[in-house]
Amino acid sequence: MSDFEPKIVAFFCNWCTYGAADLAGVSRLDYPPNFRVVRLPCTGRLNPKFIMEAFKRGADGVWVSGCHPGDCHYIAGNYYARRKFILLHQLLESVGVDPNRLRFSWISSAEANKFQAMAKDVVENVKACGPNQSFRKEELNLGLAEVA
Amino acid sequence: MSEYIIKQSALADFFKSLANGRRLLSPQGVGDKCKLEETAPEKVSLDFTNTHMSPKSLLFPQTERLMAFHNEHDKPNGYVFQSALDSGEPTVVFGIRPCDARGLSIANKVFQNDRFTDPYWKGKFDRTVFIGLACDAPLPQCFCAAMGGSPFGESGLDVLAFRQTDGLGFKALTDKGTELLKAAGATEADLAGEIKSLEAKAIESQGVKPNYQPIDNLDLMDLFKDPHWEATAENCLNCGVCTFFCPTCHCFDIQDENSERGGVRMRNWDTCMSWLFTVHGTGHNPRPTKTERVRQRFMHKLKYIPLKQDGVRGCTGCGRCVVMCPVNIDIRSVALKMAQTAPTPA
Amino acid sequence: MPQLSEITGKIRESAKKLLTSGQADVVIGYRQGTVPMATAPFFARTPEDCDQLVWSNFARVNLANYLSGRPGKVALVAKGCDARSAVGQVTENQILKDNLYLIGVPCTGMIDNNLVVAKEPRPISEVTETTDEAITVKGNGFSTDIKKEDVLRRNCKTCVNRTPKLANELVGPEVNGAAADDYADIKALLGKSLEERMAYFKDLIKDCLRCYACRNACPLCYCPICFVDETRPQWLGKSTDAMDTMTFHLLRGLHCAGRCTSCGACETACPVNIKVREFNRIMELTVQSNWQYEPGMSWDQKPPLTMFQTDDTADFIK
Repeated sequence: MSDFEPKIVAFFCNWCTYGAADLAGVSRLDYPPNFRVVRLPCTGRLNPKFIMEAFKRGADGVWVSGCHPGDCHYIAGNYYARRKFILLHQLLESVGVDPNRLRFSWISSAEANKFQAMAKDVVENVKACGPNQSFRKEELNLGLAEVA
Repeated sequence: MSEYIIKQSALADFFKSLANGRRLLSPQGVGDKCKLEETAPEKVSLDFTNTHMSPKSLLFPQTERLMAFHNEHDKPNGYVFQSALDSGEPTVVFGIRPCDARGLSIANKVFQNDRFTDPYWKGKFDRTVFIGLACDAPLPQCFCAAMGGSPFGESGLDVLAFRQTDGLGFKALTDKGTELLKAAGATEADLAGEIKSLEAKAIESQGVKPNYQPIDNLDLMDLFKDPHWEATAENCLNCGVCTFFCPTCHCFDIQDENSERGGVRMRNWDTCMSWLFTVHGTGHNPRPTKTERVRQRFMHKLKYIPLKQDGVRGCTGCGRCVVMCPVNIDIRSVALKMAQTAPTPA
Repeated sequence: MPQLSEITGKIRESAKKLLTSGQADVVIGYRQGTVPMATAPFFARTPEDCDQLVWSNFARVNLANYLSGRPGKVALVAKGCDARSAVGQVTENQILKDNLYLIGVPCTGMIDNNLVVAKEPRPISEVTETTDEAITVKGNGFSTDIKKEDVLRRNCKTCVNRTPKLANELVGPEVNGAAADDYADIKALLGKSLEERMAYFKDLIKDCLRCYACRNACPLCYCPICFVDETRPQWLGKSTDAMDTMTFHLLRGLHCAGRCTSCGACETACPVNIKVREFNRIMELTVQSNWQYEPGMSWDQKPPLTMFQTDDTADFIK
């Protein structure tokens, strides 16, 4: 299992965590490359179906990160988002999705170190869960065996 | 003479011979769990009511792969398209109800006709033998006789079986059916009279037959334009229960699903009750409200199909939609309303 | 123990008054169904129509479903749960409060047909009901009495708000429901391991046909275009893939969070008898324990997802 490299879909707010990732980059702080970032204008933009879509298509984990409460560029977007996260987090855990696959965090654009630590932690946690086999769509049956 | 008898004591051997070299399906389970399932010969039971869902998924699964495609990038012209045609094993279905068999025969004319043959349907259809079990006691919601069928109907069947005091009686309806009965060692007998009287009794138990005849003679546009549709559709929720449970509903949606490795083309059941069913790429929807959608369903069943299939109605009277509809829209009441449509004066 | 005919009479009387006085353009109620153990929603527009209105132990459809975006003045025959849904429609700006009149029926619960069939598996051709406590089902050569409390829908068993307190009038004596719903079933479920829960929910929805009857029967689902019908992009595959089905049920649960009044319309509508309310109940419990919110209990409450507290607790966010 140790050579399992998870694929993680990350949804970052443009005004904070996305900046933190940039800052971590220019500061030469290295972090694991297992996540693909989708930039959002605000975590308030995050529709739960984005997360479902990521899992459906086989993501091993999802990471959502935005501005600290009180720091939203749009005044209150992350407060609304937080309520959605509370529901989504509870619902997915209730139906048996390992909470270690789904991470929510608040990281400001100045917190490059927190970003680096969080990135490592997210990847480690998802690695420990192993590949996502139970909460994704079936591989399409392309009939490849018959061709070969 | 095409009638046969198998005594109770020989039934076990009969079912064994059916299963010989074929997949044997029969209704298993009770109530809402009753469905056609692969059955060991000793598990075949005659004590079932009707299957919860119609048997159409045997020949027309809710999701069916049509083909798969991928690209072998390292080869010149590496596009690979592969048919996913799978006709399955030879199958014998024992215990399908005459209404459901009739439903399949109506859908059959959609998938196989003089203009077009659907290989996915045909492959499975040709490999399946249908042995119907007549309804000696139709359910309260049944109205096959009113729709032009019968609890002892023969349409779509290879063999019609019915209960006797000792074992089963059979009427062979196709060569496939005769062959099967002969191979199983059935004894020839003259049962025409018995069938006739049992059928009359079963039809009588369905009560007074409402007269839907006027629909057949009314002009299509008169039926279409009648003002009752708005009221008829008013309580419809536009769920797809009626269409998914209907033995003759056959509409589908073809979709591709892709991954980075390739894709699959599949067809899935669709329903005219859905907004999405008719919406165009432009956003225009020719059936924008539930009134048009409900009208489509009933007009299709009771007028369009009869026009195309020599008067045979697209409703077999199985009663599933009547019982399943969450808001009790009853096709019998709708048909009566349609029958009362005032024709445009000539 | 009120007679059903008594309630029926009062509903008709009230409906006639509302229609003749012009207080309502339409009264949405129930009429007798065409098959046993069923009623159908009925739209009464003239005083004569009102004689078709009935009250029954099978009045399961949530009529608030017909409210959103309906023009004109509407009167609605409403059980406790339906009235709450109707109030929800007002708080969500789907209909004006001034255009809505609730004929409240204190409800002793509705019957789950599947439980009746479990008790009396023989084909039922007729049902008689005179009180709201028992029914008699009849068929070929049998007649069986069944007590209603034995065949109640599961949401009716745990119902707290049986009397529609916010209705404009009540057509029967007030009924007390359960003291509180303890969510014991959901809590027990959440006590199980992740794997057990995943297996449970996968099994729960394995028969789902995605006919969307649960969605369409739900008074909360009034979106002009549901996410399952979106095509640009398409969020949900059309095949019977289990994960697509799961996605539908999860997102349906989320969309109803803080709005669901446990009317059970979804479960009643399901043709393959999936306990689809499991998803809603998880959300109900979460909403109640986080924000102590119950939908449809007052005309001016704000749905929890349209607001926030700066100190909402979410310890899992790191």
